[in-house]
Amino acid sequence: MADINEKIAQLENFIMKKCLWQFHSRAWDRKNQNENILRMTAELLCGETVNTDDPADRCYWVDAVYLADSYRERFDWLASMSKDEIRELFLALRERLDYVLVDGSLNEELTDPRY
Amino acid sequence: MPYHEFECSKCIPERKKHAVTKGPGEDLTHALPLGYLNTIPGSISERGCAYCGAKHVIGTPMKDVIHISHGPTGCTYDTWQTKRYISDNDNFQLKRTFATDVKEKHIVFGAEKVLKQNIIEAFKAFPDIKRMTIYQTCATALIGDDIDAIADEVMEEMPDVDIFVCNSPGFAGPSQSGGHHKINIAWINKKVGNVEPKITSDYVINYVGEYNIQGDQEIMLDFFRRMGIQVLSTFTGNGSYDELRAMHRAHLNVLECARSAEYICNELRTRYGIPRLDIDGFGFEPLSSSLLKVGRFFGIEDRAQKIIDEETARWKPELEWYRERLLGKKVCLWPGGSKLWHWAHVIHDEMGLDVVSVYTKFGHQGDMEKGIARCEVGALAIDDPNELEGLEAMYKLKPDIIFTGKRPGEVAKKIRVPYLNAHAYHNGPYKGYEGWVRFARDIYNAIYSPIHQLSFLDITRDGIPDEGGFKTQRMLSDTSLSEEVRKSNYMREYTGTLDIITPLREKSYPEFNKKP
Repeated sequence: MADINEKIAQLENFIMKKCLWQFHSRAWDRKNQNENILRMTAELLCGETVNTDDPADRCYWVDAVYLADSYRERFDWLASMSKDEIRELFLALRERLDYVLVDGSLNEELTDPRY
Repeated sequence: MPYHEFECSKCIPERKKHAVTKGPGEDLTHALPLGYLNTIPGSISERGCAYCGAKHVIGTPMKDVIHISHGPTGCTYDTWQTKRYISDNDNFQLKRTFATDVKEKHIVFGAEKVLKQNIIEAFKAFPDIKRMTIYQTCATALIGDDIDAIADEVMEEMPDVDIFVCNSPGFAGPSQSGGHHKINIAWINKKVGNVEPKITSDYVINYVGEYNIQGDQEIMLDFFRRMGIQVLSTFTGNGSYDELRAMHRAHLNVLECARSAEYICNELRTRYGIPRLDIDGFGFEPLSSSLLKVGRFFGIEDRAQKIIDEETARWKPELEWYRERLLGKKVCLWPGGSKLWHWAHVIHDEMGLDVVSVYTKFGHQGDMEKGIARCEVGALAIDDPNELEGLEAMYKLKPDIIFTGKRPGEVAKKIRVPYLNAHAYHNGPYKGYEGWVRFARDIYNAIYSPIHQLSFLDITRDGIPDEGGFKTQRMLSDTSLSEEVRKSNYMREYTGTLDIITPLREKSYPEFNKKP
């Protein structure tokens, strides 16, 4: 079984190749996207109900459904993880994405006030 | 992910931080090309200006509008017709371009009078058109002409017309991307919210950042209509001026080219609470997941799935035919902005092409992040390359084909590299399932063109071979294929027709009852 870093790398690689939501142009927006879509993806993988009453939440949710379905299809090891383990994994994944896309990013426009 | 220094640009050391090779085990925090900066003196850039970005890219795809440039005729001429953003009103905006023909005397004495004359004259010449956009240019911006005041005067005198003023002269940004930004913000500030639309569906979207290149928008519109979705406006390909004034009433903004139009999506999200969903309209898998996402947002994903199943069954065997013949071919993916990330992964996944380089002329660092994330290890990523760098990269990487604009494309042809037009396409549309097969066919035709093979002969040195006869494309492409592939009953060449857009304009769609 893959260790947690390898699992995070696999999940991250899929997002970076197949998704666009993580690349919004502002630092705060990227963190917002990461937080909401990854939280909802974890909830879906844990079989929990996701609140989609608000249009903004519904928009996060459609990306989360795609991600959860794709992860289930590609990564067998997810099925053997407990809910707590999945939550922990996705918190670590979010930290990693926040680093690559915001805190450690070399993109000088993320905080450009004239953007 | 080390920075890459071109031999030809050693005399311009600032260029070094504009090119990066994607290394194994590295991520975006290791290196990222600089982007969206002023062109470095000494480097002959291939970019357009901020006026071009506002007018040519974003403004003029609007179909029912007189698009007039306030400046010399050269500005409007050079931003006319080179991009094939067709429209369903007989291509009014593509056939005609307008300018106020500003001369030296106007620079000295002012050009407001000539502007007003031209506006009235243009409306009288085309009495069926009641909408106009006016684009500021460098010359008239510098002399301080007040275009807004003149537009207001005309609208007062001619109450049935409406005029939009875009103040984005050529010098107002490092590249055309500055103009994208300005016209996005000007449109939402001045025009959105001015018209109340008729809502005919429970599911209403704006389709944003889509320019109807050879019919791309109409292909996607067909899918949305088959799902019972009302496309309130398209920003801006084949889009209508008044529909775009009603963008505030959509339930969802579906964003395609984030490089040119994320600004208006972000503003619509902030001001009107309309969420932004970024999608990929190119390639079977990305398009399918995009349609499903839009469907799921409204709870009608079953309608999306029906389209996906039908279209995939119809077109997959044809895509596979080309994939078998394109496997391992090397590509320099050198478009303007968004296609470097729309295409980087999916031409590899679905056509078997190897992307050896990505570049962007006017993209931002965010575009490079997406492009580098999606391309394979070893690819060379270049921001705003000059012509010599492009040549050096092609000599080094030896691509089988490049996807780029017509200026660098003609340069590539000179060194015997075939090119496809990534901006205006060759035989598009390229969006949709059939469109993606058309793209694969264009790539195949370019790489295996028998005429292109002749270009490898140097007739100053080599003799003209007079044995073996003429080789067809199939003779060139099928030599290394297995018999199983060559004789497959499943795979087939493209079977579509020349014009796939006109029939869509006459098509009728299922009616889905609106909830009371």
